[in-house]
Amino acid sequence: MKQNVYYDFTKEFFTINGCLIEEKNAKHMKVLLTRQMDESLMNRPFYWHYMKKMNREGDPMSLSFKDISIGEEEEGIYLHAGTPKLQQIYQTALEKGYITRLYESINHPTHNLAMHPWLILNMKITFRGKQSKDKILSIGLNLINGAITHNMMELLEHIKLIQKISDYTFPMTPMIKLESAYNRIIQHVETYLTTLDTDWAEQSIQQFNYEKQLLQKFFHSDDIGEEQYQKELDQLAIRYKPRVTIKIANGGLFYLSVHTSQNLLT
Amino acid sequence: MIDTRIDPAFFTQLTNQLEESDSLCSWDEFKLAWKGLNLQTTPEFDGLLSLTQLPHINFLEHQVDACEKVVHEMSGRAILADEVGLGKTLEAGLILKEYMIRGMAKKILILTPASLVNQWTQELSEKFYIQAASPRKKHADWKNWDITVTSIDMAKRENHKQEILSIDYDLIIIDEAHKLKNHQTKNYQFVQQLKKTYCLLLTATPIQNHLSDLFNLVSILKPGYLGDLSTFKKKYKNTHLGAADTQEHIHSLLSKLMIRNLRKDTGLDSSKRHVKNITLKFNKEEQEVYDELDAIKKDYPSFTWLTLTKELCSSREACYMSLQNMHKKQPSDLLKHLIDRLGELPQHTKAMKMAELIQQSDEKFIVFTEYRASQFYLQWYLQQKGISSVPFNGKFNKSKRDWMKQLFKTKAQVMIATEAGAEGINLQFCNNIINYDLPWNPMRLEQRIGRIHRFGQTKDVNVFNFAIENTMEDQIMKLLYEKIQLFQNAVGDLDAILEKIPGGNFETHVQKILQESESQGEIDIKMKNLVSYVEYNVKERKESS
Repeated sequence: MKQNVYYDFTKEFFTINGCLIEEKNAKHMKVLLTRQMDESLMNRPFYWHYMKKMNREGDPMSLSFKDISIGEEEEGIYLHAGTPKLQQIYQTALEKGYITRLYESINHPTHNLAMHPWLILNMKITFRGKQSKDKILSIGLNLINGAITHNMMELLEHIKLIQKISDYTFPMTPMIKLESAYNRIIQHVETYLTTLDTDWAEQSIQQFNYEKQLLQKFFHSDDIGEEQYQKELDQLAIRYKPRVTIKIANGGLFYLSVHTSQNLLT
Repeated sequence: MIDTRIDPAFFTQLTNQLEESDSLCSWDEFKLAWKGLNLQTTPEFDGLLSLTQLPHINFLEHQVDACEKVVHEMSGRAILADEVGLGKTLEAGLILKEYMIRGMAKKILILTPASLVNQWTQELSEKFYIQAASPRKKHADWKNWDITVTSIDMAKRENHKQEILSIDYDLIIIDEAHKLKNHQTKNYQFVQQLKKTYCLLLTATPIQNHLSDLFNLVSILKPGYLGDLSTFKKKYKNTHLGAADTQEHIHSLLSKLMIRNLRKDTGLDSSKRHVKNITLKFNKEEQEVYDELDAIKKDYPSFTWLTLTKELCSSREACYMSLQNMHKKQPSDLLKHLIDRLGELPQHTKAMKMAELIQQSDEKFIVFTEYRASQFYLQWYLQQKGISSVPFNGKFNKSKRDWMKQLFKTKAQVMIATEAGAEGINLQFCNNIINYDLPWNPMRLEQRIGRIHRFGQTKDVNVFNFAIENTMEDQIMKLLYEKIQLFQNAVGDLDAILEKIPGGNFETHVQKILQESESQGEIDIKMKNLVSYVEYNVKERKESS
């Protein structure tokens, strides 16, 4: 049986956000929303506005979800890649998990431990020309020695990170300023991009030039005016000109032990 | 070589939030956001993500192929020209969805005939999870609505036009795009001025009369693709549109721009059509009035006689309306006499036959008539017979249309529709159609039948065609519908043939013959010639394929 990643994600989302979940089996859950979750997901701002004004608690709603393999007999929203509620959940998850500062949790070290600061940026890179696709990167930069590592999220997955620094550990002062670290990562990504396959861009440019030529000939025949020509030309550029956009989805400062920091680099 | 842009918002947020500890998130929340990001990305240039997001719809193979081709090969500018009933709307919706998922389209405008606005919004929401807005009388917010469905007429009104033209749309979809074939019309010019990245034109009949129709449609999508107009015209001036090599040439020219699936290629023929042509005899009184109408020919052009007899074949009421109007403009004893005679007629022969057919069955029927007056009459008549019916016509506003369709689905046995209402309502739950009177253009008949014989129809479809013996109707039926064997034929071929007869399309030819002929004999001969021409082309097409 293939695991439903959307079901698992949704369950995790509501667990982390403090909602009570009743699960009949591994394919159906009823979620009692917290007030905050109701406000983010249920699209009823007037109700909450009114409750606040009246100084009342208000009743958060509950939501039921089910795996796509469950038929009509159970109430609930089917969870699959296109579930509209899911799009809202992604959005909320990204907003709530935007920026952080975390410390590696260390249990009773024998002596005082220095913690290396890292800047970690998770980003979505969109390639667009004739077609489009994304690539996501998770990049970390050690603010003491400037080392850069890819796949940070994967590498840190099983490491316990908390929001308060552990006893007997101390954060080191960054040698590299946050801003220049940020710029270094961006620069690194730009260099990295040049090492990737550029066939898609070349094909797009070819198509762009070909259609531009057709349009120019047409323009010279006087079938269309200057203004129309310019407009078509702009639209051609949007359709074909290869471009890359980098959007940082989330990021933050991470303090990791020297030991962990070294492990990341090997 | 490649332009790279970085969204600058993050860094400012980072420095601000690191100073306010309570806005920072936990490791779990941070990881969750990352997982969400992973689930939302589009890792490949190729393929369709929309399919995985719409598991509740079984798209047909040709629809999936169409989407794939438009998005990945045609770069989002295409004519979707499937035959009626193969799901052009679904294809367009799928393409729209794909572009939205890939983040390539956010601002979208859909232009449809006014009668289809509701259906589009409903389908987008139910089938594609896409919420679209449509402007009401006073309320329109073009700038803030991401996805808008409206009619061209609404969009080009003075108070909306400038605002719409100022918006950079990512995708524009134009339904029933054959209406844009003439580049001198206001509609055409409006559409051409729209700012759009991607654009879909939907039409079942991309070539109507002239090759220049096609040139104009292509000019909306890719100006210059077919060269310039004067060279194009010169090049194709002497080519015969019916000739096989011309066809092939045009199709290959358009293969990078147009998708055209035919019914016969898609295996959608599982639901069959049973056509029954029913010829009826006027009763004695009707026949007398019909003969008396001959007197009209003396004082009026032959066209008037033609109109009146055609109306009488439909109902007393339809004929009465015309006579009454003529009488008001120019009173005469003859008209007065004819009006009185009409008043004496019993129930119409066709109406009685219709009621009989319906009473024999428990199933639902849709009845098409050409005249509003007949529509009213038939509704009244069915009521007398204890049969429930709802009317339908193009003048109804959106909500009334939906209401009537709903009533027909749940309560009434019969829907009586005029031609104007035929476009775009889908009534797959009904499988009987009565063509109470026949249009002169077989394509319009096809449009009617297409309301019920379409994707989603599970039963065989019964088509009943009514005609009165020894009248124009009889002739039309015998010549057009029996001889050409229209109904069993692949209509895709036929529409091309009918639209491309030298000297005008089929309908204009029929009209000309009827108007210009001096005797019945002349009409017969000319009609036969016309039909043999069509027949010949159909056969030729069949043999070559």
